[in-house]
Amino acid sequence: MKSRIYPFYFVIGTLCLYLLLFVVPSIMGLFYSFTDWSSYSEEINYIGLENFKIIFSPEEHYFSALSNTVWFTVATTILKTGLGIVFALILNEGVLFRNFHRGLIFMPSILSFIIVGLIFKSILNPETGLLNVFLNRIGLSFLAKQWLVDLKYAFNSIIAVDTWKGLGYIMTIIIAGLQSIPPEYYEAADIDGAHYFSKLRYVTLPLLKPAITITIVLNVLYGLKIFDTVYVLTNGGPGYATEVLYTSVFREFGLGRYGVGTAMSTVLFVMMSVIGYFTVKLLDRKEVEF
Amino acid sequence: MRKILLLIVVLGLLCSTFTGCAGPQSPSGSNTGSTETAPQKKSITISYMASQDWVQKAEQDVGAKFESETGIKVDYQIVPADQYPTLLKTKLNAGECTDLFGNQSGKFDIVSLLDIEKNGVDLSNEEWAKRFDPLAAEQLSVNGKLYGMTLADVSAVWGICYNKNIFNDLGLKIPTTYNEFKDVCQKILNAGIIPIYECVSDGWHHVLWFPELGGRYEELNPGLADKLNSNETTFEQNETMLEALTQLKELIDLGYFGKNYMSNTYADTEKNMASGEYAMTVYNQGLPQQIENAYPDVKADTFGFFVIPLVDNQILNVNPAGPSIFVYSGSKNIDAAKQYLAYIAKPENLQYILDNTPKFNSLPFSGLNDKYSDEIRNFYNAYPKHGTVYQTQIKYLNPQWLEIGKDLSAMFTDAMQPIDVLKSIDKRRSDAAKAAKDPNWVN
Repeated sequence: MKSRIYPFYFVIGTLCLYLLLFVVPSIMGLFYSFTDWSSYSEEINYIGLENFKIIFSPEEHYFSALSNTVWFTVATTILKTGLGIVFALILNEGVLFRNFHRGLIFMPSILSFIIVGLIFKSILNPETGLLNVFLNRIGLSFLAKQWLVDLKYAFNSIIAVDTWKGLGYIMTIIIAGLQSIPPEYYEAADIDGAHYFSKLRYVTLPLLKPAITITIVLNVLYGLKIFDTVYVLTNGGPGYATEVLYTSVFREFGLGRYGVGTAMSTVLFVMMSVIGYFTVKLLDRKEVEF
Repeated sequence: MRKILLLIVVLGLLCSTFTGCAGPQSPSGSNTGSTETAPQKKSITISYMASQDWVQKAEQDVGAKFESETGIKVDYQIVPADQYPTLLKTKLNAGECTDLFGNQSGKFDIVSLLDIEKNGVDLSNEEWAKRFDPLAAEQLSVNGKLYGMTLADVSAVWGICYNKNIFNDLGLKIPTTYNEFKDVCQKILNAGIIPIYECVSDGWHHVLWFPELGGRYEELNPGLADKLNSNETTFEQNETMLEALTQLKELIDLGYFGKNYMSNTYADTEKNMASGEYAMTVYNQGLPQQIENAYPDVKADTFGFFVIPLVDNQILNVNPAGPSIFVYSGSKNIDAAKQYLAYIAKPENLQYILDNTPKFNSLPFSGLNDKYSDEIRNFYNAYPKHGTVYQTQIKYLNPQWLEIGKDLSAMFTDAMQPIDVLKSIDKRRSDAAKAAKDPNWVN
């Protein structure tokens, strides 16, 4: 039997574009991260690991940006996946106006980050924002906080807004996963007298594993490269409190230190590749088949 | 054979795709060098990118007239202030800048930040250059060539604008020292009014408190600017600067900026000052008229000015630099862009812009009628000593304005100490200077 249906030259065009648009820029980026490329000088010199030393030096703010990025990734992955499963389970059953609710929860996912950012900047304004005005009106003034400017709340507010925006997308993937579980399993469980939580524990969750794997991988990779939500809501502030890796990269480019900016992208690229690879490996180990 | 033929076809198609990218120029691109016989009607659009608040409504009105007379359309691209410097630099470095672009003038910055000799067009021989104020021109010149046009009131200074009614009601006098300023703030706070309106969320405004005191730093440390520029001293080593930042932090800790200073916005200044909820704010001399225009019940003469009294400053902080317009050297419409500047700089058009922009009291061109009120004249006359602000005097300072803003926000929230802010400024200056191969840093 012939193993190849189509000849190799069919992929040459795609391969050329792929090389030109993805592989070459990546290698160039890697090369530039070892240079002193900046907007102040035409010359580009090889400087070894200098840029990486800067990134990991305690005097700079990059390390906090790195830890913020990791915290953001962990928190949003848990929240979006957890809440996504809960909402998917609720909206997969016979809830009144099911599709309406699904649509409503999915809607934020299709909104632009700029719009979401501007809306939430206004909602979370400590003086005139909808949230604090509402809390003050119902006598819960002690809960009205400086959401985006207080160090204690700023980053968690960003996580909350991002979860709100991304939840619907994750929920949709999980609903699709739920609907692909054959009903016979539930019928068999019913005959055995299993109650709701037993069915959830022994039927739903194991069979949902492929969908959950996808959502976790998507969330982790999305979380690591977060930029827009932070940029629109706080631009890394107050001070450097909510800085993440990509806002730092952007800041470096703004300062004209392209070498350092590129080195940070390289660090992030390596992190994403390693974490992405192991996440898939780990979650892929015991795939359930039906 | 067929395989080889197919391969050749595929490669040929690919090549034609790429060569297609460098194909015929757009219609607007074919006009280069054809504007010698101006003005005549042609279908050109020139793009002009500037930061928020730099292109006044009156300038756009004149731009509309320019369009109807010459047929050259002006596409104004206004970018939020905290994003503008990054965007401009990215566009300049990518070689894809707009035909005209805005930037603060400053003889050091336009070289280190904009590489203006490469990216700008020499405007020395334009007619308006002869009427342009020499001090403003100096901030836009490199090696004797003029590269831009300042279209802003550079006579205005950032001082403390105060509500005279509140001061009169509470029996307060204009403070001349930091301690007097604190007393004034405390009395205002005791009366249930927030002493100072500050808007940190815009990222740039709260920085003014620091480099605008350049004259005072120089008075207490003669020759400091030169030493900083020749890398003989640093910000960190300067006690006066440290004191200024410490005092600024103290004002916040004492509650004189209110609770919402981190989320307040620059755009709400008129509203909040007009309401009487706040007594003072850092602003230039245009604010009173802006308030009267927006809230006709509140008259411009309700407000007066005094200099920022941190570190007992009593020197008027002058700054010959301001938002300016440059022509991009890579533009395909250089002549049309020059034509736009020449049109704007016609005396009648400048006068129109001056008369119809509340925040302008004068423009840096000869032959115009200024519109200073007595209040503003008195303010300028009250401070006979003048000193240039540090963002114009010190190399590698102005380009890091928004970064200093971040440091100060961190200082306000106790994440940084005043000394760390100074260290941070030194670090960025040193990085920028080394990257620029500045001999005072490299050797």
